[in-house]
Amino acid sequence: MQLTFINGSPRGAKGNTARLMDNFVRGFLETPGASCAVEYVAKHRTDLAGLKKIFYASENVIIGFPLYVDAMPGSVKEFLDVLIPPPQGAAVPALGFMSQCGFPETGHLRFVERYLEKYTKRLGASYLGSIMKGGGEGLHMQPKFLVDKFENGLHSLGKKFGETGRLDKDDLDRFAYPEQLTPEQIGGLLPYVNTRLWDEWMKENGALERSFDRPYRQ
Amino acid sequence: MKILILNGNPDASDTGLDDYIAELGTQLAESGNDAELVTLREKKIRPCTGCFGCWIKTPGTCSIPDDAIELAGRYLAADVVILASPLVNGYLSSLLKNAIDRNIPIIHPYLEAVDGEVHHLKRYDRYPEIGILLQREPSTDEEDIEIVTDLFKRMIINMRTTLKFLEFTDKPAPEVAHAVNIH
Repeated sequence: MQLTFINGSPRGAKGNTARLMDNFVRGFLETPGASCAVEYVAKHRTDLAGLKKIFYASENVIIGFPLYVDAMPGSVKEFLDVLIPPPQGAAVPALGFMSQCGFPETGHLRFVERYLEKYTKRLGASYLGSIMKGGGEGLHMQPKFLVDKFENGLHSLGKKFGETGRLDKDDLDRFAYPEQLTPEQIGGLLPYVNTRLWDEWMKENGALERSFDRPYRQ
Repeated sequence: MKILILNGNPDASDTGLDDYIAELGTQLAESGNDAELVTLREKKIRPCTGCFGCWIKTPGTCSIPDDAIELAGRYLAADVVILASPLVNGYLSSLLKNAIDRNIPIIHPYLEAVDGEVHHLKRYDRYPEIGILLQREPSTDEEDIEIVTDLFKRMIINMRTTLKFLEFTDKPAPEVAHAVNIH
């Protein structure tokens, strides 16, 4: 089975989306006969027509991106808009998506997911499903057992996709956990994220004391 | 009121939305507002690169030196910001989405609970209310409107503000001006 993974992360191969993609693709390629090409929207930004050609030459496509202000990044919307209408007489590949967000709950991604399913219908493609996952930021500071669970989950989704050509709804739901957090979970998590992740990054850049700067006057 | 209208129409040859916005701007000015129009396709606003510079290097200011820097100031100075776009394949234009993506310096990276969910903290005390003005495309159906309305409602939560209205350009401009003027 052939797959083209189109990674729409503005951070390209160094982003969190790439980390999800890499584990998924690793599982996918374990099936004999599976082949996968990886393309980056950021690299094709001045040649979206070229990426469109690659898209329509594919049998299966998964488009991955990080959640930006509740939807796909503007640069990914540019690409989605280029794909419609399909070239005259072209076969439309089966289409799925992968998205992750820094917020810990996967629930943030369910709104854009509805859009993506409708978009796929608009394109006239058959919908493979969407791999959605919260907590995609700050993996480096998470305990090893959680990172392993995350990476193993993607690996088995990829492996099963290679074997069956399908993304199973129950598997996707299981991988998406947690959909929401309880107030207690949020209360326990946030001070940790704010001090260990954001403060540390600001400190590394000598910016912690300017954390609350308001450069614009109101 | 100080009103900023961001015109996200990418296509200069399709003047429908531009004409509508010009009329809306006139209506708003005539009812005593300070209305400013910005045509985004005439601005240089590159896509967000996800570098986090605006959160961890120069807090509150984007690292990409283009027109988005100044636009964030105008956004914060307004009482109401109207985001106007044609629906393009069921969502807003990439032109407007890129401008919205570049506006995240106005919030803080810290996370806090908002109505039982995790969202980012406010960097400023107040943010403009948001009005959404959309132009239907021939294929627009009820499902598209539900999806896009929900996406905007989510965006409003993350921009730490409130939605003043969501209207389509089939409603006459004076009626939309009225929706803006209601407190």
